[in-house]
Amino acid sequence: MKTLRFDLLRLPLLGRFLRWRYSRFALQLPLLLLALLALYDGFFGRQLAPKNFATVSVWLHYRGLLVLAVAVAGNLFCAACPLLLVRGPTRFAKRYLPQLSWPTRLRNKYFVIALTLVYLFAYEYWDLWASPWLTAWLIVGYFGAAFVVDALFPEGTFCKYVCPLGNFNFALSTASPSQIGARDPEVCLRCEGKYCVNGRVDTPQGPKTLKEAPTENAPRYPGCETKLYVPQIRSNMDCTFCMNCVRACPYDNVAWGLRWPGLEWVRARYKQDVVWLGVLLYFAGFMNAFGMIPAYYSLAEGLSRLLGTRSEALLLGSIYLLWTGLGVGLTLGVSVLADRVSGRRDRPWRSLRRWGIAYFPMAFAMWAGHYAFHFLTGWASIVPVAQQALLHLGLPLGQPDWTLAALVPENWLYPLQVAIIYLGLAGASYTLFARAKREGATAGAAVIFAYLLILATLTLWVLAQPMEMRGTLLLSPST
Amino acid sequence: MRGVLILVPLLLLLLAACQPKGPSPLGAEVAFDPNPPLLGPNRITIRVDTKKKLSELKVVGDMTHAGMVPVEAEARQVSPGLWETQDFKFTMRGDWVITLEAKDSSGKRYQQEVRITVP
Repeated sequence: MKTLRFDLLRLPLLGRFLRWRYSRFALQLPLLLLALLALYDGFFGRQLAPKNFATVSVWLHYRGLLVLAVAVAGNLFCAACPLLLVRGPTRFAKRYLPQLSWPTRLRNKYFVIALTLVYLFAYEYWDLWASPWLTAWLIVGYFGAAFVVDALFPEGTFCKYVCPLGNFNFALSTASPSQIGARDPEVCLRCEGKYCVNGRVDTPQGPKTLKEAPTENAPRYPGCETKLYVPQIRSNMDCTFCMNCVRACPYDNVAWGLRWPGLEWVRARYKQDVVWLGVLLYFAGFMNAFGMIPAYYSLAEGLSRLLGTRSEALLLGSIYLLWTGLGVGLTLGVSVLADRVSGRRDRPWRSLRRWGIAYFPMAFAMWAGHYAFHFLTGWASIVPVAQQALLHLGLPLGQPDWTLAALVPENWLYPLQVAIIYLGLAGASYTLFARAKREGATAGAAVIFAYLLILATLTLWVLAQPMEMRGTLLLSPST
Repeated sequence: MRGVLILVPLLLLLLAACQPKGPSPLGAEVAFDPNPPLLGPNRITIRVDTKKKLSELKVVGDMTHAGMVPVEAEARQVSPGLWETQDFKFTMRGDWVITLEAKDSSGKRYQQEVRITVP
C-alpha cells in the first residue's frame, strides 16, 4: 500500500457505486448497446467507413478513448467490456459442455502475442479499418470467441490468455495512475478465505468461499477471475478492474489507489512472456503507423520487384516478418550488449527480461501517439454517424452534419504526437536508470537508452510523414 | 438480466423494419482530369442520361479511413447531360470513395459511388 496514495473507493458516490453488485453490468450495458448499433450499421448501413457507425466507433473512438482512459485513470474499457455479458449464456452452456482446463503450456502471454500479430496482419491485409462489414464481423468474432472460451474453460481464461484487446489494455495500463491494492496488508495476512480470489458467500456462520458453500442460497460475490491476490498486486497486468475483489472482500480492505503513472515499471518484476508482450507491442505499433505512410508503399513496390510477385499477402507478410524479426533480433542483441557493458554474462532471454520493461513506456507512447492522431482528427464524426445509424432505425434525429470532425486544429497534431513520444522516452529513461541504479548497471542502461533514442527518432520520422490511406500495397498498373 | 439481454437486440431488430428506402442508382460516367487525380484541385466530369432530368448534382469525396473530413463540391451542368466540378480538392493521398448525390426535378434522389486512388 505504500505505493498507493489516495483511495478512489473512499469517494462517496464512486465507492458506493463500485461496491454495488450490478455496477459492472451498468458499465457494460452502454457499451453493449453501442456494440449492437455498430453491428446493425456495419451489416446493414452504408459500406463507407467514414460514414458508418461500426468503423468510426471501433477504429476512432474505441481506440482513442481507450488510451485516454488508460492514461488518466486505468483499464476502464476492460471494466466495461461487453464481451463478458456472454457469461449468462455460457453458464447455461456449461451444463452441457465438458469443462476443460487451459493447457499449462499456454498459461502465458505467448499465445495472445501470436493472436495479436495475426490480428494486426489481418487488419492490414483485409483493411478492416475500411470495411464496416468486416468490422461488424470482427465484433461478432470477439463475442463468439468469448462465448466459446468462457463456455469450455474456467472464467477469466479468455481475458487472461486469449483476448488480444484485453492484453493490449493490460500492457498499456501499466502506465496508469491507479492500481488495485490492499488497504492494510495485515488484514490480508489474517484472512483465511482469500475471498478476493476465491469469492465470497455470506452464510449464517459467517463468510465462506464459493467452493466452501457451492449451494448456499445467499448473495454470492465472485473473486478475481484472473486470479490476482490483492495484497500481492504490484502491477495492472491482468487486472480487468472488474472490482470483484472489492465486493468479495468482507473486510472492506481493497483499495483502488492512485499512484505515480508508470511507477510499476520501476518496481514490478515482469515474467519473460510479459516482457515480450511489451516489446512486440512497440514494434507492432510502429508497423501499424508505418503502414500508413508513402515509404511503406515504396518499400512494398521495391519488394514486389525484388521477389517478382504482386501477392499482397506475401509482401505484407514479408514486411511484417522483416520488421518484427529485425526488431526482436536487434532488441535481443542490444540487451546482451547492455549486460556485457555492465559486466554481466547471461542468456539473451534473461538479458531481455532485465531491460525489456523499458519498452512498455515506448509502446504506450507509440500507440497513444497514433490513436490520438485519428481520434483528434475525427472525434466529432461520431455524431453524424450515430445520427445516421439511428435514422436508419427510424428515429427522427434530423440530417447528419458530415463536416463535424476535428477536435483540435490540424497543425497541433504533430506537436502533440511529439510530446507523447518524448513522454514515452522520458518514462523509458527513468525506468531504465532507476532500475539500473538499483542493480549497479548504469552503463548498461546507457546502451539501451541510446537504442531507444534511435527508435524514438524513427517513430517521430514515421509520424511526421504525410499519411496515405490505401487498401492495397501496390498501385494498379493503370494508375 | 438475461431477459434484458434478449429483449434489447429484439427491439433493435424491430426498429430495423423502419429502414427508409435508399436512392436509385445514377448510372453516370465519371472522368477525372488529371487522371489519375492528384493532391489539390481536380476537375471531375460526370455524364448522365438526359432522360433523368437532374436538377442538382453534388460530388462528395470520402477517404476509406474513418474520421477524415469529407470533401464536397456542387457540380454545374455545362451541357445537356454533362456536369462538372472544377476545383474538387483531394486533401490526402490514398483511397477515396467519390459519391455522386443527385436529385431530379420531381425530387427523386439518385446516388453512385466511384472508388479511386490518389497516388
